[in-house]
Order: sequence, then C-alpha cells, then structure tokens
Amino acid sequence: MWSLALKTLIADRGKLLTALVGVVFSIVLVNIQGGLFLGLIGKAGLLVDHGQADIWVGHRKMHNIDFPRDIPRRWVYRVREVPGVRRAESYMIGFADMTLPSGGFENVAVIGVDRSSLLGNAWNLTKGSPSSILQNDGIIVDECEGEKLEYLEMGELREIGNRRARVVGMSHGIMGFLVTPYIFTTYERAALYLRKSPSLCSYFLVQLQPGADAERVCAAIRQRVPELDAYPRDQYSWISVSFWMTRTGLGISFGAATLLGLLVGMVMVAETLYAMVLDRLGEFGTLKAIGATETQVYSILLVQALIMATVGSIIGLMTVAGIQHFFSTPRAPIMVPWWLSLSSCVLVLVICLIAALLPYLRIRKLDPMMVLQS
Amino acid sequence: MIADKEFNAMDREHAAVRVERIHKAYHNGTTSTPVLTGVDLAVRQGECVFLAGPSGSGKTTLLSILGCILSADQGEVRILDQDVITLNERRRAALRRNRIGFVFQRFHLIRGLTAAENICVPLTLRKVSPRTARQRAEVLLEAVGLADKANSHPGNLSAGQCQRVALARALAGDPDLILADEPTASLDGTNGQEVMTLLRQLTTEQGKAAIVVTHDHRIFSFADRILHLENGRIVRTTKPDPQAPPSESATGSKG
Repeated sequence: MWSLALKTLIADRGKLLTALVGVVFSIVLVNIQGGLFLGLIGKAGLLVDHGQADIWVGHRKMHNIDFPRDIPRRWVYRVREVPGVRRAESYMIGFADMTLPSGGFENVAVIGVDRSSLLGNAWNLTKGSPSSILQNDGIIVDECEGEKLEYLEMGELREIGNRRARVVGMSHGIMGFLVTPYIFTTYERAALYLRKSPSLCSYFLVQLQPGADAERVCAAIRQRVPELDAYPRDQYSWISVSFWMTRTGLGISFGAATLLGLLVGMVMVAETLYAMVLDRLGEFGTLKAIGATETQVYSILLVQALIMATVGSIIGLMTVAGIQHFFSTPRAPIMVPWWLSLSSCVLVLVICLIAALLPYLRIRKLDPMMVLQS
Repeated sequence: MIADKEFNAMDREHAAVRVERIHKAYHNGTTSTPVLTGVDLAVRQGECVFLAGPSGSGKTTLLSILGCILSADQGEVRILDQDVITLNERRRAALRRNRIGFVFQRFHLIRGLTAAENICVPLTLRKVSPRTARQRAEVLLEAVGLADKANSHPGNLSAGQCQRVALARALAGDPDLILADEPTASLDGTNGQEVMTLLRQLTTEQGKAAIVVTHDHRIFSFADRILHLENGRIVRTTKPDPQAPPSESATGSKG
C-alpha cells in the first residue's frame, strides 16, 4: 500500500510540488517566526543568562533586568551571611549619554561590576580582556553597536555622563532587548558615569556554595532582608522575558502571525490533497470497484499525507538551517531550539493528517459504479 | 416474463452466478425509474455469457449487481455460492476483491503505476507479498503478449495494450468470475478481436465464468450464449452462429 500511495503521489508532480511548498512554507514560517521571536525575546534575559550569578537579588517586585530600583549597597553584608552563599557582589545598571564624534549623543546602558570578582562582566570578547576595565577610564563596548556609536575603535576616547571613557575591550553579540548599547565598566566608574551614589546599587549577584539549593537560598535571603527579592538565574531571566511578552503584546502578535502562517500552510496542503483526489476520482473508484476497503483507501491518503509531511519537513528544516546560517545576526538572532523544530514537524504532520480527511470524505461518498458508467 | 431458460434445475444449483426475479429502480426525489424488472439469469463455471441490448436496457445495472457494486431492490442474487443480498458492504468488497475480476470499458488503469504494478494492485489489496505479486504480473503479461511492456506506464501504451493490461489485472487474483463492461468499446476492430480472443482463451483455459456487456455484434461469436435485454428484462437468449467468422473490422461502439 505504501508503494501504491507513493507512486500515485509522485505521478502528479505538479500538485505534489504545490503541496510540498505548503508544508515547507509552514515549517519555515513556524521555525523562523518562532526563532526570531525567541532570539529577540531571549535578549531580554541576556545579562542574567551570562551574568555568572546563580541568584539575582534586587528590590522587592523586581520585574526586568534593565529597569532596576536602587537598593542600599550595605545590605550586601546581610546577603553574604545567608547560609549557602559563597559570594555576593554589587552590580549597577543605569542609563547615561555617550558623546559621539559627530557632535551628537547616544543613550547607553552603563553596567558597573565589582572590580575584584568582575562578576557580571562582559563576555565573548574579541579585543582586550575582561580585566581591561580595571585600566583608567576603561570601558568595554560591543562591536555590533558600531553604527549607533559611530564605529568606536580600541583606545578611542569618549565621554559618558561628562566623564572620560576609553575603549579597552570589545565584545561580540552583547545586544540587549532595548535599543541602548551596553557599556561595561567598574562599579565605581559606573556610579560616576550615572551620577549616582556608590552607596546605592541595582542588584547583588550571588554565587552559591557547592551543593546549595538556589530556591532555599533565595527564600532565606527574602527572609533575612524582606525589602529584597531573590530569584535563581533561569527564573529571573524568564521574569525579564515575560515582562516584554506580557506588557508589549509581542507574544500575541508573533503567535498570531505564526498561527496564520500555519493556517495558510494547512489550507494549501488540504486544497492540494483534495485537488489531487478530485483528479484521480476514477482511480479511487476503480480501487473501490475491485474491492479496496474503506480502510485501504484511507490508508493510501494517510500514507500520502505522511510522505508529504515528512519530505516537506525535511526540506523545510534544511531551509530553516540555511536561513539561520546566513541571516541570523546579534541584532536579529534566529534561535531555533530542537523542541521548536520537533513541535513544528509534529504540528505539520497532524495538519497533513487532518487535511487528508477532507478528500477522504469525498472518496467515501464515491460510488464505485462510476467506473462502469464512464 | 421471458427468462434465461437455458438452465435446468441442477445447473442452477451449481451455477457461478444465479439471479432470480431481481428488480431495480433508480430514485430521483419522488420519481422512480425502473431499470430491471424481474431478471432471471444463471451462468455456470467456464461459461462466457454476453449481455446485449440497447442503451438504457439495464445491462450495466445488471453487471453492477452481479459485481456486488449495486444492490437489487428485490429478488435473489447468488454469486459464487454467496447470497449477496445478506452481505454487508465490507463482505461485498471482500467478495469483489477475492473472487471477481473486472474489465472496464475505459480500462481504468492507475496512471502513476507501470503495467506490471497495475496488475499487482488486486494482489496488493489482498496483502500478497510484492515479490509474489510481481511474479504473477510477469506471468500474466507474458500471457497477454506484453512481456516487454512490464515497466511501461499506461500513457505509453496503446488502447489495445491498456485493455490487455486491464484484462491481466482482472485475472491477477485468479478470480472465479470475470465481469467485463464493453471491453472492446474503446478499441479498434483488430484490438477488439485480440482482446476478446485473449479473454475467451484465458477464461476457458482456467474454467472461469465470464459475463460481458457489449453492443458490439462483431464479437458475439466469442459468447456461449447471448442474453438480450430490453426495458429491464431478458427478452431472448441466442447462441452465436458457429459458421460466422469473427468480424475483421469489428469496431467499438457504445450507444
């Protein structure tokens, strides 16, 4: 039956191609739309994901890494006393203007990290080293922000918050969800750039002792300092991501576009399968006349739908890999995790099987006597 | 009623096909059009019976009932010792699949399949292994003179060759009954004669019953008996003239 289904499917290459285009379109759309969404929204938790901290501690009801509220730096001592905490360091985030050679200004997100541990510092450096920020006026910028910052070079001097800043390192791909470029420097220098008191910080970054349970330590921190909230890294990353998803409607708009694409793909597959069957009603009538059962007829359609789903998914995933390879950039990353690819294939398979139902209903009504009346 | 009177009581008991007093009407809203009005018919194994008559006389309807594709409204229908009236659709399909071979006027070959693969279809439906089915197809292609066309698609075969493939497909499952609907109507005279020669030869050799619906007087010589239908009844039974040679210029026609 497999052979019969396959050969009759291949016989009509034009329609097969149309159906495959529908499947490939659905797979590509789901993966690229989903990948772009995950890439974009994933940037909202970028600093948390790469911050090397097991726990993020901030003001109560903290909801987004980029918009912290100030907390007294001295509370870090109370956090350090919590059992399970190996290290806790201050971390500062704020916004300031950087001067540009053209005479303009660019708003930047200044990140100040503890100078002894460098916890929460820039990563993926292409020039300089993480400890470069210890140099006088040292800052690390991302090379992908060249256009906004008018192509900074190593050693170049700028002003941030009317204070001198010198480029001592360059990273690649540290681009947040906001449009403001990240600038990494020491905690004390960040306070100067941001014109804030060094006695106030944004977060405490906590590293745990081996074997310590993050959830328990978080609960203990909240108990010890009730004005603070504490979350394990993954949880706070998700909180930051959720902030943008729920408050901007981004999830709904991406989801709706993806759903629409799926719907178009499904209609294309169903329409093509139906058209193929209409073209071959005589053949199905013949099969019924010579004794094919309903199950056998439906299994032919199912096998054809399965073949289209499988071949279409393979071609679709290869196309996605190509698009990802050539078009994914730090500015618009396309993140396609395995579970997205797998679920898109399963979804398309289900759609194809459902799409096979439509022509089946037509064939079911088909009177095999038609072959004797032609 | 003028019935098929060629059979005596004993023959009827052992007939491959036995039909008694069947009626069939087509309904369209409140209108009912009778098509068969009390047909009696019996065909024994190894016999080749032709159903002839003008368009609308009920030939195709009768063939459909004999092929378990259509149900009679009244009467008794026994096909290969099975009371067809009592069978559900699934069992009717099984009877068609396992014991009846069909030859259609327009061949109805599956265009995506080669000649050999088309012949394998009834065997595939019976879950015969592909290897065995292929061997059987090759034997049959040899028998119908198309051994060299095994891998040709229907689009690359002539009408006569297609009908020979269709005949081989009908015989693939080694059925006890062959039903042919205007098998020469789409063929020219020579091909029509060749197909009928093959049909007759293969059914006689293998002792199969065959019922052929036809308009074509020039192939009547291949029949053992010819039942003439008019207005839904068998009005007379004739035997072909043994002196009359098969027509050299038989042409397909369907009124």
